[in-house]
Parts: sequence; C-alpha cells; structure tokens
Amino acid sequence: MRDSLLLLAVVVGSYLAAHVIFERFAKRFALVSGAEYLVLGVVLGPQATGVLTPDTIESFQPLITLGLGWIGALVGARFVLSVLVRTPAIRYRIAISEAAVTMVATGGCAYLVGARLVGLPDEIALLVAAGLALTSLPASSAGLEVVEQGTAARDPVVRQVSVSTQMLAGIASAGLALLFALVHDSPTSLPRRLVPTEWFVVTIAIGLVGGLLFHLFVGDERKADRVFVSLAGVIVLVSGAASSLRLSPVFAAMVFGVILGNSRTNRTVMLTALARVERPFYFALLIFAGALWEVPAPAALPIAAAVLLVRPLARVGGGGLAARANAAVDELGPGWGRALIGHGGFALILAMDYLLQGTLPEGGLVFATVVGSMILTDVGSVRVLQSVRVFR
Amino acid sequence: MRRLIVLLILLGASALVRLLGEPGSGAQWLMTFGFLILGAYSVGELVSRIGLPKIIGYLAAGFVFGPRVLGVVTSDAAHRLAPVSGLAIALIAFLAGAELRWSEVRSRGPTIAKLLGAEITVTFVLLAGATALFGDALPFIRASGGLAELAAFSLLFASIAVVHSPAVTMALLSETRAEGPVARTTLGVVLVSDVAVVLLFSGALALARVLAPPSGLDATGSTVGAVIWEIAGAAIVGAALGALVALYLRFLKQELFLFALVMAFLGSLLARALHVEVLLTLLTAGFVAENVSPREIGDGFRHAMERAATPVFVVFFALAGAELSPASIAASWTFVIPIVVLRIVGIRVGTWLGGRWASAPVEGRYVWMGLVSQAGVAIGLASAVAQAYPERGVAMRDVFFAVIAVNELLGPILFRVGLTRAGEIGALPQSETTEAVAH
Repeated sequence: MRDSLLLLAVVVGSYLAAHVIFERFAKRFALVSGAEYLVLGVVLGPQATGVLTPDTIESFQPLITLGLGWIGALVGARFVLSVLVRTPAIRYRIAISEAAVTMVATGGCAYLVGARLVGLPDEIALLVAAGLALTSLPASSAGLEVVEQGTAARDPVVRQVSVSTQMLAGIASAGLALLFALVHDSPTSLPRRLVPTEWFVVTIAIGLVGGLLFHLFVGDERKADRVFVSLAGVIVLVSGAASSLRLSPVFAAMVFGVILGNSRTNRTVMLTALARVERPFYFALLIFAGALWEVPAPAALPIAAAVLLVRPLARVGGGGLAARANAAVDELGPGWGRALIGHGGFALILAMDYLLQGTLPEGGLVFATVVGSMILTDVGSVRVLQSVRVFR
Repeated sequence: MRRLIVLLILLGASALVRLLGEPGSGAQWLMTFGFLILGAYSVGELVSRIGLPKIIGYLAAGFVFGPRVLGVVTSDAAHRLAPVSGLAIALIAFLAGAELRWSEVRSRGPTIAKLLGAEITVTFVLLAGATALFGDALPFIRASGGLAELAAFSLLFASIAVVHSPAVTMALLSETRAEGPVARTTLGVVLVSDVAVVLLFSGALALARVLAPPSGLDATGSTVGAVIWEIAGAAIVGAALGALVALYLRFLKQELFLFALVMAFLGSLLARALHVEVLLTLLTAGFVAENVSPREIGDGFRHAMERAATPVFVVFFALAGAELSPASIAASWTFVIPIVVLRIVGIRVGTWLGGRWASAPVEGRYVWMGLVSQAGVAIGLASAVAQAYPERGVAMRDVFFAVIAVNELLGPILFRVGLTRAGEIGALPQSETTEAVAH
C-alpha cells in the first residue's frame, strides 16, 4: 500500500510540475508536450530511481490495457467514411507509397542487422523486424493539431501529412494485430487449432460486437453522461476481451472506434465523450511507458541503433520517392517526408501493445527503440512541419 | 427488448471469450469489469421500467452473474475487483462531503440535527439493547464470552445498524428528480449522519477493543490516543486534502475527470497509511473542497467526480450483489427479519420524535422512509469489524450482509413511496440532475 501511495503521490506531483513548467515552454517555443512525461516515467521506473517497482507496474497493467484500448478507439473514430471518400486518391497513393518505403527500409535494415550482425535465428529476426517496421510507421499528429488550428489547414503539405498520419496509424495497428494472430497459440481445449486468419477475424469481431453492443445500449440517447458510461463499458469490455485472448486491444478497440466514428446518430456527443479522457489516459500511459523502458541488451543495441538511424532517412527518402512517383513534387516539395519524422504517441501505444501481450519476441527491444525514437523526434515535430511548409 | 438483447450478446460473447482464452488470464477481470458495467446497467434499466430503483437491478445483476448463479463473474474476478469497491466507498464519502454546502447546513441545520439526534439515539439504544437481551440467538455472540464481550459486540452491532446510505439516497433523488423539504432534509440527515456514524463506530470499536481485545489484522491502535488520532487526524488530513483539491481547482482546473479519481484513490491510501478514518477523511476533503472553492468551480469538479464515479458505482453495487448468499439469508431469516423490523421501528419512532422536537411534522412523517437503505458504508464498516475479529467479526459481517440485502431491497422502494406521498417527485427539471448518481 505504501508503494501505491508513494507512486500516486510522486506521479501526481511530477505530473503537476511537468505540466506547469513544460507546457509553458511548449507553447512559447512550439514544442510538443509528451516526451517529458516519458522521461519522467523513465526517472521514476526501475531503471532509475525505482519508485515504480516492476510489481507496482504489473499491478497497474489492466489500467494500461484500458488506456491502450481507449486511444485505439479514439484513433479509429477518426476514420470517417464520408470524409475518406472525399479525399483525393493521390493522397492515399502517396501515403501508402511512403509507408511501404519506410516499412521496407526499417524492417529490412532491422532484419539484416538482427540476422547477420547480431545472430538472431531467422524466424525471430523476421518477427522482430516486422514489429520494428510496423511500430516505425506511425507519425506524430501533434504538429497537425497545432497547425490545423490556423489558416494552414488547406495547405497541401498539411493535408498530405494529415492523410498520411491517419493511414499510417491504421496500417500499423492492423499489421500488428495480424502479427499477433500469426504467432497465436490455440488453447488445448478447442477441438482444432485456429489458423492466424481466424484469430485476426476474432480480433475484428471483438470490435464489431463492441460496436453492436454500444448501439443497442445507447440507442438514441443524447445525454453525455449516459453515453460516457456506455463508451467506458464497451471499451473496457473490448480491451479486456482482446487482451485476455492475447490479441491486440488497440486494433479491436480501433474497429469499435471506426463504427463509432461512422454512426449517424449522436456522433458528436460520442466523440466528445471519447475525447474527454484522452489526455489523462495519454499522459498516464506515457509515464507508465517510461517506467516500462529497459536498456536493451548490449547485443541487441545495433538493431535499435540501425532503426533509429534508418527511420528518419526512410521517411525523407520515402516521402520524396512517393511524391516523385505520383508527380506531386511541385505541390509537396521533395522533403515533405520530414514532417513524418516525429514518432508520436500512437507508436508508443503500439510498442506497449507489442511488449505487454508477451507473445512476440524481443518486446523490450522494440519498445526501447520506440521510446528512444519518440524522445529524440517528438519534441520538435511542430517546428519541423512548419519548416517543411516554408521551405518546400 | 433491446436491454435483453444486450444481455444475451454479453453472455454469449463472454462464454466465447472464456472458450477461446486460457483460464486465469490477468486481463479477464478487466473484461469482467466491462461486462458488469454494461450488464448491470442494462438490468438496472430493465427493473426501472417496472418502477423499481436501478440499484436493485445492479444488485440483482451482480447476484445472477456472480459465482453463485451463472458464474460469469468468478470469485477470483470479484476478488481482483475489490479495489473498485474501495474506490467507490472513497468516492461516496467524498461526494457526500461535497454535497454538504455550509450555507445549507446552517439554514436547515437545527431540523437536521434534531431529527438525526433523535433517530440515531432511539435506533442505537433499541438495537444495542435487543442484541444484549437476545444475544444467544445471534451467531456472533459467544455464550461463554461474558458480559464485557456481550457489551462490546452489542455496541459494535448497533453502531453499524444505524448507518444509512448516502449513495442510495442521492441516487434516488437524482433518479426521481425530487425536490422539497422531505427530499432536502433526508439528504441532509443522511449526509450529516455519515459523520455521526463514523464517529460513533470509531468510538464503539475503540471501546470494543478494550472490552474484548481483538486478534485480527486491525488489532492495533486500541489506546485512547490512537482513537483520538483516528478521528481528529481524519479531520486534519481530510481538510489538508480538500485544501489541495481547492488549490488545484483554483489554479489549474485541468483533467478534472482523472484528478477526481486520483484524489479519491489518494485520499483512501493516505488515510490508511496514516491510520486515520478513511470515510471521515474523504468526507472532510469533499466538504472543504466544495465549500472553499467558488460555487461554479466546485460544482464542476463534483460533476466530474460524479461522472467518474458512475461506472465505479454500477460495478460496486453489482459486486455487492455477487457477494449475497441466499443460503445464509435463508438460514438466518429468524433473526434477520426481527433486526430489520426493529431497525425500521427505531428509525420511525426516532424521526417522529425528532420531527415533533423540530416542529417539522411533514419531515417527521416521511423522512424515515429515506433512512432505511443501507449499502456501501455499512458493508465497509462490517468488513472493518471482520478484519479486527476474524471469527465473530466475520459472523457479524455475514449477518449484516443479510440485513443490508433486505434493507437494500426495501429502502429504495420505501423512499420512493415517501417522496410520492410528500408530492416531491419530478419537481426538479431534467437538466439539474446528473446521470452520474442515477443509480
């Protein structure tokens, strides 16, 4: 109990301090707030001061799972079909081409270093490379949130970054869910072994059932508090069900979020209720993520270093190639991919998912790489986006 | 019909996940938590269609889904969800304190004090006396225990029996949108009585420790100094916590939802670590935070807390339902029913006397109906006795579970009848109530 009390007191105190001090700097110098909570988590975690012991973190794991699901639902809710169909096809082509280049470059590099230099078995190296490639995909949306508030929202670069960020989150999350399905063991009680496709379908089904339950539960209700209870109930249920089956709570909740985002009735009320607790969950997750961070084994360091080095290059190169292939260099500029370098919180969410499910190899390495990348790239993502717009 | 479909889907999905998953997975209780929020809430709405309070639905849902009937909520999951109950009790205490506006206490104070004073005194004396007289029939009184032990357990029993339920009262008022002298006075009595019963229980437990030294976990702190610290310290710690909340509300005002949950959790941990009374600490914190902050800011925080509390309360009542044992209730009905009846008689006579004393005949006639309910606080105090006295305390707690079960079922129905007879139901407009406490 004393551990929990100390943890809570330190987290609250540190949160307030970080909140007051850093947010002032963030506003003044156009920095993205977030990485400071991650650093705070590292400082409080077992690797530094040890205020957060592994047992304490373990006891909070269901809360972390819930946070993962909540953020997943929120990201899913932004996939609004009516908006997606109005977006020009070229935006998707560019986003997907850039994503393909980044994935191949980071994944290929991680595989080569892992299999050839570090000496990981081929199958393990492949899975780790796939995990690193997928968690490398998401890009920070913090810059967009700042820039989109101004008149720059119609700027082609801002619109492309907006579409890319959304697509990258979707691809990465679905890819990770597929990876979980690929390595999933069937329980012995079943008459036959379920194949990966079936596990992937189960993940989607959890989200779909969540959506169905939500709509049956809420009906035409408009009261925000009632909607909030329903949302909380369904997200807890979906995250818990997916996690207890060792599937991705992020993707299952994202499927639920897509249903939510495309509902005809009460969409605004639902999305407001959903977004109401985004920031608290996000900050709490960042602190726990920092505490979960461990220095990778020295042998695995080359893999992390390679990904940290290759990812920004792949982003810039991939962005340039995608623009060239789609004849959009004049519109976007050759270096627009720089705006996707900021790694963002969603990558961290996926990395936590990878780590906590415990079914994929080298979770610590994948997680530590994303934490490092986020600390290095996230703070300046607003400034980078602004500079890309100015200098294209 | 829609609610039934929700329940069927929930049960089907839960069975499927159990089939596909490995037993004992840690995240299963998270799923149980979600299942209870949706399932219990749906049952609550189903029973409200037939005129019963939603709380009865939550309790019934907990019982039906619990280990004794369908087993969707396993004993292990219920055990792992125990912190939710602790958090709910902390939220109940904080919200109860926050409901008390100093200006209202001052204006309605004399009536509340007279009604409460008479009601608690009569009920306490009646139940303590009956327990002492007919103790042989009760499983927690040992024939060989002697007079000191008989006195100790009679006092403890009576001090828990006089507890009311702020959660049920607030929920019913919110659900029925009742407003008027009976509604306001009942709420005032219930909220102020929380302070009184916590003080009474702390005193009774301290005395019991002297008369019949305990052997359980909570065996420490039997000195007079420790008891004084437990109560005075709670006021100090609670006031400090409330002041901190007020400062936060004045200068930061951000993430109120999370802040509300964290403060309730922090308050209960802090109180336990400092060996002060948890309920009194949170009650004081809520009172100070609400009364020190400007009205609109304090109300905003209270609403954030109510919102945060809604799913917690649903699960809390459902878990209480899951703990109900029809077998033990059936086995103990010979003394549970007389206790329930005697308690109601004590409340009725006490409020009638209090009403005459305060020259408030309407309140004296109807307020008793709102004081029958018992829920979380009573369960919490009974559990505290069980911790201090592992054998007889547990037997007393089981008796209380049965008594509380009956009062939980009876209380909300009686209160609704009282509010209807007083003509106060539906007096508040829809916007002034919050869904948060509508259960």
